[in-house]
Amino acid sequence: MKQKKKINVYFYIMVVPMAVLFFIFHTFPFLQGVFFSFTDWKGYGDWNFVGLRNYLNIFKDKNVLSAYFFTFKFAICATVLVNVLSLALACALNTNVKGKNFLKAVYFLPYMLGTLIISYVFKYIFSNIVPMFGKAMGIEILSKNILGTTHAWIGLLIVTIWQSMAFNTLIYLSGLQTVDKGLYEAAALDGATGIKRFMKITFPLIAPFFTINMVLSGKNFLMAFDQFLAMTNGGPGTATTTISVLIYKKGFSGGQFAYQSANAVLMFVMVVLISVFQLRVLEKREEKVS
Amino acid sequence: MTGKKIGQKTNWPVTLLLFLIAAVFIFGPLYMTVVIALKSPQEMANVLALPKSIQWDNFRKAWEMTEFPKKFANTVFITFVNLGFTIVTNALASYAIERKRKKSRFFNLMYYYFISAMFIPFNVLMLPLVNQAYRFHVDNVVGITFLYVVFGMPMNTFLYTGYIRSITENLDEAAMIDGASPIQIFFKIIFPILKPMTATVAILSVMWTWNDFLMPLVLLSDKKYQTLQLAQFVFQGQFNTQYNLAFASYLLVILPVLIFYIICQKWIISGVVSGAVKQ
Amino acid sequence: MKGKKLAALGLTVVMAMSLLAGCGAKTEKASADEPAGGTAADSSAAEASADGEAVELELFSTKTENAAILQKMIDGFMEKNPNISITLTSEKDAATVLKTRLTKNDVPEIVAMGGDSNYTELQGAGVLLDLSGEDFVSQVQEAYLEMVYDVNVDQEQTVYGIPYATNASGVLYNEDLFAQAGVEVPETWSEFQDVVKKLKDAGITPFELTFGDAWTCLPEWNSMAPVIPAADFTDQRKAGNATFVGTHEEVLEKYLWLLDYAQDDFMGTTYTDGNAVFANGGAAMMINGNWAISEFLNTNPDVKVNMFAFPSVDDADRNTVTSGVDVLLAVSNQGTDAQQAAAKEFIRYALTPEVAASYIEDQFAFSAVHGVEQTNPTVTGVSKDIAEGRVSNFPDHYYPNGFDLASILQQFALNKVNGMADDQNISETLTMCDEQYDAANVG
Repeated sequence: MKQKKKINVYFYIMVVPMAVLFFIFHTFPFLQGVFFSFTDWKGYGDWNFVGLRNYLNIFKDKNVLSAYFFTFKFAICATVLVNVLSLALACALNTNVKGKNFLKAVYFLPYMLGTLIISYVFKYIFSNIVPMFGKAMGIEILSKNILGTTHAWIGLLIVTIWQSMAFNTLIYLSGLQTVDKGLYEAAALDGATGIKRFMKITFPLIAPFFTINMVLSGKNFLMAFDQFLAMTNGGPGTATTTISVLIYKKGFSGGQFAYQSANAVLMFVMVVLISVFQLRVLEKREEKVS
Repeated sequence: MTGKKIGQKTNWPVTLLLFLIAAVFIFGPLYMTVVIALKSPQEMANVLALPKSIQWDNFRKAWEMTEFPKKFANTVFITFVNLGFTIVTNALASYAIERKRKKSRFFNLMYYYFISAMFIPFNVLMLPLVNQAYRFHVDNVVGITFLYVVFGMPMNTFLYTGYIRSITENLDEAAMIDGASPIQIFFKIIFPILKPMTATVAILSVMWTWNDFLMPLVLLSDKKYQTLQLAQFVFQGQFNTQYNLAFASYLLVILPVLIFYIICQKWIISGVVSGAVKQ
Repeated sequence: MKGKKLAALGLTVVMAMSLLAGCGAKTEKASADEPAGGTAADSSAAEASADGEAVELELFSTKTENAAILQKMIDGFMEKNPNISITLTSEKDAATVLKTRLTKNDVPEIVAMGGDSNYTELQGAGVLLDLSGEDFVSQVQEAYLEMVYDVNVDQEQTVYGIPYATNASGVLYNEDLFAQAGVEVPETWSEFQDVVKKLKDAGITPFELTFGDAWTCLPEWNSMAPVIPAADFTDQRKAGNATFVGTHEEVLEKYLWLLDYAQDDFMGTTYTDGNAVFANGGAAMMINGNWAISEFLNTNPDVKVNMFAFPSVDDADRNTVTSGVDVLLAVSNQGTDAQQAAAKEFIRYALTPEVAASYIEDQFAFSAVHGVEQTNPTVTGVSKDIAEGRVSNFPDHYYPNGFDLASILQQFALNKVNGMADDQNISETLTMCDEQYDAANVG
């Protein structure tokens, strides 16, 4: 067998146009962004090279640092909460409940709706409905619009959880359904029930699903944007300004095109590092399973 | 729930709990959206009560104010034209890449080129892309549709190549002996087998383009090109305190999705699951 | 078989092709209805329009409040000029959108915007047409032209924007509630404090603040900052000879005092919700500008609202109304000759006394056009101040663009709600102002 077989030209035709377009509209802007992060370009007009100035300034800029800190805090909390809650919900759905398919469909519904509209609806709930109930029941902490307090991020967390749980629950549920019921029966004979059975049998079996969800949701939450722009616009103050919101707000309207490009490059490096780390973990786990 | 009767007895407490949670947390906000959209401003004092008389007029006003038909047409165009092109082009490219990866450096490089782009968040190339888009005149409905096709490549390559890997190459070889060209082989043999993955790609792509907000926000500045999602953002200022109109407008946007979901619910759910599990 | 092969082959390239085709079509169209730089096509378009062929323009407004009246003006204009068609763009977060479009070099033919740092940026980018030689420049008041010169990048005396409407920021009050509490319009800070206390004793919420939207934290600052620190502060700050620390402490002390008399949960109240509450008599005062009045009347047409200058200090003569160029009209130099001519024609139309009067009547604004006066009773409290020139320009119009004072002040108010000690809050906030001001300049 000769390995050096000529490859039919059609195979090139299938790939090359896509690759060219991808380069023009994806890779090239990306490289441009990297390039301009070393300049003082405002997005129009003249520019000069400024070396590493933008990068050095980023580390001194309180706005940027607090945005990174906040984004991490938000992403970690959201990832953990979403996964814990959806795993619980999936376990509940996996028991012998009536109307299982209906419930499954209902709990998946939030995934179908656009984040922007969900955010507007929840913004109204937080600013009008919740305070109304809070006042009626005399609970002080609920009688204020949470989006106007230091805890605004909790409001955003709730919306994010509400929407993201749909997808994660579904994945866990499909994972749970692959678990052989016979294993439970065997475990029951050994006296393992409840939490113990979950930790010993269920969780190890659905661990790959857990990793998928952690990776996907973690990455999404690091880039969260829509709900922040719609609900708080990064406020009050800069309390809920994520990296994405900062890049958008300052990059376009604050005249900091180049500076925020540097910020974007930094964000890219960070996402790569995290993803590589997560993929390593994922591979290890897959090795263990197989 | 211990013992051997798993699968027989209904677990009533959990069932009730699940229905209760669904009623409060999923149907609650939806109910509120619907009721507000159907009310007059005078009835807003009792926000959660049912409207005394249904104000269809809210929908008419929201319809006119946001120029719904135009925005709807734009969104439908983007969503479905993108869908068609995404499936054909991305599946073809993935087929070529996966089949020739082992034999050619070039195709292997392409594989890593597309896959590694999954790590680049949109926000990172957002600022320069806006310039680029203007230079190539893609800051309009047709243009953004193709940008979606291009930007979907990394994820779809990942999904498709994984699936194609599981299809035995014997099929290709048999067809090749019969004198079929690679493109014929793809459309006649591979593409039909890919159907489950195509369903997944289709759903993810439709949900993405219909609900996307950031890309239209930075690219579609011209009013006549705006999408439904973007229109909701743009009209926040003009909705003002007219929450009834705003909610009527939101409802107009999510209604098509709801109908689509109710009809194709099973198909959507299984599509999303198989996509995610592949990842 | 062969045909199918070709069709399939075609499919793979069709995407690339149609994209290119899309580009081509767009470029051809661009010379007809979009700015595309000065080419031969432009001059032919100019000739064409002289023959009565259609010219299409876009009017971009950075305010959503004036969308209705601008549309009315456009309709009136198009009726007189059937060959010119203008579409209005008016959206939320318009300043950002405009900046995005500047990045794309996609500048609308006519821009209606405030005389602020956004204008400076547009003017500095060199995309605006020099209107100095136009006959209609003489129709606007020199004082407002000066204000626009001040925000030109080099403060040069060149007309890149025609001031059209001016605004007034100060205290909006409900006349009925003032009468109910038996208080008069205050002229000094001490009187103001008295009024506020009396209102509170009468069981009336003195202030409705809407700090859920960050920008509404600015009017308080903009009222006091021109009066309390030295008059040349903005210049000195720019030159690096002065800092916010050491000059603006009194501003923030008074700011904090106001917060004690605001409604519950003012941090969680949005501008739209707060306007509705105020319009329905839920509070006696709002610290904002004339642009909010039309919003009140939308909610409650019967509300009796008026305005007075914010009494920043006890020397009544020093207190001013904050007034700036709320709307100026600028023309893009990126359009075709025909578009530029049509845009100038629109400005000429907008400056006719009847049209200018209809604009300020609708907006409760003040006109920059000679002889057009605001007579509406809802602003009588400040129209005299404005006529007598007891005005200061908005200080934030002189701050650099990336300096997000609104967010800093929103944080300042939040600190207060969270119980931070006033001294600490004031010094931290002013330090932050200086840091961010400098950071924005580096940008």
